[in-house]
Amino acid sequence: MDLSFLAFFLVKGLEISAPIAYASLGAVFSERGGVVNIAMEGIMTVTSLALVWGAITFHSIWMGLLVAVVSGMLMGLLHAVVTVSFKVDHVVSGVAINVFAVGLSRFLCQSSFGQETQSAINSRMFPSWLGINSLAFWLVPIVALSWFVINRTVFGLRLRSVGENPEAADTLGVNVYLMRYTGVVISGALCGLGSCTLFADKWISGMVAGRGYMALAATIFGRWDPVGAVLASLLFGYADTVRIVFETMIPIPVQFVQMFPYVLALVVLAGVAGKSRAPAADGRNFEKGEG
Amino acid sequence: MRSRGSVRNTVLERAAPFIGFLASAVVLVAIVIVLGENPGRAFEAIYKFTFSNAAKAAQVLSVSIPYYISGLAVALAFKAGVFNMGVEGQYFVGGFTAALAGIYLKLPPLIHIPIVVLAAMLGGALWALIPALLKVRRGIHEVITTILFNNIAVALVTYFVNNPFSGIQKGVSLEPQTKKIAASAVFQKLNGLFRAVGWNVPDYVYLDYSLIVAVVMGLVIWFLLSRTRSGFEIRAVGTSIDVSRYAGIKVKKVQIGAFLASGALAGLIGLQEIFAIREFYTYSLASGLGFDGVAISLIGRNSPIGVIFSAGLFGFLRQAGYGLQLFTKVPNSVTYAIQGLMILFIVVINEVLIRVVRALRKKEAL
Amino acid sequence: MPEALLAMRGITKRFPGVTANDGVSFDLRPGEIHALVGENGAGKTTLMKILYGLHHPDSGSIEIRGRPASIRGPREAIRLGIGMVHQHFMLFPPFSVLENVTIGEESSVAGILKPAVPRRRIRALVEENRLAVDPDAKVEELSVGQQQRVEILKILYRGAEILVFDEPTAVLTPQEAEDLFRTFREMVRQGKGIIFISHKLDEVLAIADRITVIRQGRVVETMDRASATKPRIAELMVGKPVLLDVERPPFQPGAVVLEILELKIRSSRGYLVVDGLTLSVRGGEIYGVAGVEGNGQTELVKAVAEGLEAESGRVLLEGRDLGRCGVRERRARGIAHIPEDRQKEGLLLPFSLAWNIALGRHDKPPYVSRLRILNEKAVRERARATIERFDIRTPSEDTPANALSGGNQQKAVVAREIETGARLLVAAQPTRGVDIGATEFIHRQLLQARADGRAVLLVSADLDELLALSDRIGVIYKGRIVREFDHDRAAREEVGLAMTGGSIHA
Repeated sequence: MDLSFLAFFLVKGLEISAPIAYASLGAVFSERGGVVNIAMEGIMTVTSLALVWGAITFHSIWMGLLVAVVSGMLMGLLHAVVTVSFKVDHVVSGVAINVFAVGLSRFLCQSSFGQETQSAINSRMFPSWLGINSLAFWLVPIVALSWFVINRTVFGLRLRSVGENPEAADTLGVNVYLMRYTGVVISGALCGLGSCTLFADKWISGMVAGRGYMALAATIFGRWDPVGAVLASLLFGYADTVRIVFETMIPIPVQFVQMFPYVLALVVLAGVAGKSRAPAADGRNFEKGEG
Repeated sequence: MRSRGSVRNTVLERAAPFIGFLASAVVLVAIVIVLGENPGRAFEAIYKFTFSNAAKAAQVLSVSIPYYISGLAVALAFKAGVFNMGVEGQYFVGGFTAALAGIYLKLPPLIHIPIVVLAAMLGGALWALIPALLKVRRGIHEVITTILFNNIAVALVTYFVNNPFSGIQKGVSLEPQTKKIAASAVFQKLNGLFRAVGWNVPDYVYLDYSLIVAVVMGLVIWFLLSRTRSGFEIRAVGTSIDVSRYAGIKVKKVQIGAFLASGALAGLIGLQEIFAIREFYTYSLASGLGFDGVAISLIGRNSPIGVIFSAGLFGFLRQAGYGLQLFTKVPNSVTYAIQGLMILFIVVINEVLIRVVRALRKKEAL
Repeated sequence: MPEALLAMRGITKRFPGVTANDGVSFDLRPGEIHALVGENGAGKTTLMKILYGLHHPDSGSIEIRGRPASIRGPREAIRLGIGMVHQHFMLFPPFSVLENVTIGEESSVAGILKPAVPRRRIRALVEENRLAVDPDAKVEELSVGQQQRVEILKILYRGAEILVFDEPTAVLTPQEAEDLFRTFREMVRQGKGIIFISHKLDEVLAIADRITVIRQGRVVETMDRASATKPRIAELMVGKPVLLDVERPPFQPGAVVLEILELKIRSSRGYLVVDGLTLSVRGGEIYGVAGVEGNGQTELVKAVAEGLEAESGRVLLEGRDLGRCGVRERRARGIAHIPEDRQKEGLLLPFSLAWNIALGRHDKPPYVSRLRILNEKAVRERARATIERFDIRTPSEDTPANALSGGNQQKAVVAREIETGARLLVAAQPTRGVDIGATEFIHRQLLQARADGRAVLLVSADLDELLALSDRIGVIYKGRIVREFDHDRAAREEVGLAMTGGSIHA
């Protein structure tokens, strides 16, 4: 095993982990505020399409990024409205949005590109660094920033308080609704950023392939902490990289190797459940004036 | 003797799907107009492709069959408070086990077909087993586990079809597939029967044994939920775990039972495609039926009767989409977007109406 | 004469079915500890919630330091210098003390938290008020007494001058209570005023400068410390008992049905909420458990009716150890349970009344045939009979349970449990939130069960109810039965005192 191979492996692994890592960071913001966000899969489906559309339409990959992030925030806003203002069950809303996202993305793809399961090819790419999408490296400062915001700022403290005990936070003057909305919208934006690290050359229906759910598993495994969630995402990502790199060398049929990331996620969940503690009010709707 | 108030309350409670449907119809008209098409033409195209004659109506029915079974499977789980998002995987696995029974067993049709159905249910239930146990024993939310299991199912089944059970014939088969289903297990069409009673169903429409399966399962589940003790306990657990425990109901057993039953039903979804249409198993079966089932169940308010309507609605929408695509400028994918929008409308309106009814009830009780 | 910190005049507040406060007037002077005493449901908590802005009075006025104030919510109350330490703490367990105290009022620069200043302020407050607690400790690791100090710090940090404490010693050890009183004395020395709601007359007499007694929503008397004695306060609290005209057939007890031996149950917080409890109930007897809420009654009921896990001790039904039997087994062996919270535990609200009446026995004939098919006709017939027998007011047996009034819902639950014919009936707060007509009816039903030779374990916060119905009353205090009274020898004041942990030698 020579050094250049190892370097390649490390760097490639980061690229593969990036989408899940960004999404799991988003989940941390949403869930620490008490809103379960199962809709990330759907949000990433839409934002990955938005990226390609934006890049092609505005002749700039950076505009594509902007469109992706904004569309992620809008989808997040939708989830927030349905769960925080209309108080629909968080899981039901997440599932509904995922279904909606599939339909919406196919419709938008058809309207923009003429066919519903594949978009046109986008030739503009993000700048590369060390051979991979440089956005993957942005992960490092963004994780650090996220950690800082959650643990060392007024906003972060209030967000966490809302996720632990919204009734108490309310009596202390914290605007529960605003905090929850903000957390969810941030998670939407991060999903948008994450989809920028998937593939930018074209959009294919189903390309997210369960990464939104794996991100959720990573968040749980990482104990709802930004650094932990990203580390867990890296675990999944590197496992997937191992699969890709060694696929042809392993005597196991290719499909079993394909299953590996999902099985890993399951094993992780099964082992960790009950031991880690979600924010106490995660998933619980808050009714002003009650209690 | 019902007071006027309680009739109104009952109607309000059930009104969400209808209001949501109307709202979505409004959006559809808006989209049609924006796309530069005449709404009148759009509706005409829809009508032409769905109900203008017996053949078209039969096609709507045919397409609704797997939707119904999928919605039913999800609805049963929801009744017990279980979010079975794994219908997709359960249907792939159930279809596969059924196909194995259909290919490799040699039995007279009268026995072979029920065995095949049973095999489908076993496969589906098996695929739901681990997520069910993880939920009940470890408290892991079934949404994530079942979805992960979906992905695993696809990979697993792909392997099986490509290798041990491959039945590809060079130059003939267009895709990876298993061997052909034995003739004794093929689901025959019932079109002749329908024609005999006056419904002119052409031969290219698939109204086959899976229709019987769907109807029977619908009746069975309806009976189970409303008339048996197990159904009562399922509904009780789905309403309140605390009260169920207080009443001596074994909550964990009920949850697992409903979860497995839901998986068993899911296994039946692919019967039409595998045993009537294609006569072999392939992993490129219609996908997305699992999540469609969730949508169908939510729209049908998670009841076996409601799901009849919402499955029919989905079948209708699918055909309507083709019609629109063929005769107007409106693309097929509009229907997908509308479906998704409809669900959102319905879950929100449902929540609002529940609160309204609750407030009304409180006022009346005083 | 120093100007009053707080003056509440003519406060009236009505809820559907009950007048919680009726023309209540109350004032607080600076440097004073003013105790507010009364039974459960007398209106003390409502009054304080009005002060804190959680409820709005229907009529009356509030003045803070002589200026009229309209308190629209807790934030407004905090601004006016009112701070409330609730009975159930409103804390964030995984956060530090400092974070808990400063949320909503953080010290920051450009959004970034700067804990240095708050830490200094908190340390100063800790010193001044003798509140030993470490600002950087995590709240979930603190003892209950320390957590209460965090609550106190919260309100002091926000400049509270009027401090309200709702049953503060309910969850404290005697030593912690002492510490708390020392803190009280420090705070009033600084000119603050303290309102202190309590049941425990010993403590009230030890610490309060003035005592206001509330009964049934009205102020009975406000007295100075000098002229207060325990018997006098108890008499004012309890007043003339409500005449419950119930005929009690003669007491003819049979064999022992329920026996609880040295039961110990540990709460999730780590302390023994049931601490060596022993009692027995015979057939044909009503055994009433009297006590202030939070002394282990809820756990006792759950242990008998649902099999809540015990650390040690035994529960025997007709001589047989119940062990770890589940609910279904217990019901089969002859235990019926009227739960404390009918909506959360006792009724499937969206289901019809008929099915709620069948609940618990839905798996037995005649509701169920051999094929496990539900016999809907039988369910409705039985329900109709039950509705008539128990006079449950409902449009029909098909009406969903959530459409019934509280009283009728409770009647349905009571009817269902009594009709099981169980040998042991465990009734927890059976008339809570129920109107007088239904209450009277339920009492008659309990007495009928007694006449039929069944054993009834009655847990209630309503002393009148217990006194009228029970053949024996056991007073539960800190997880044990500390005193038992026979019906004829149960005097209201004595039982009341025992409930508050007061010494027997008055």
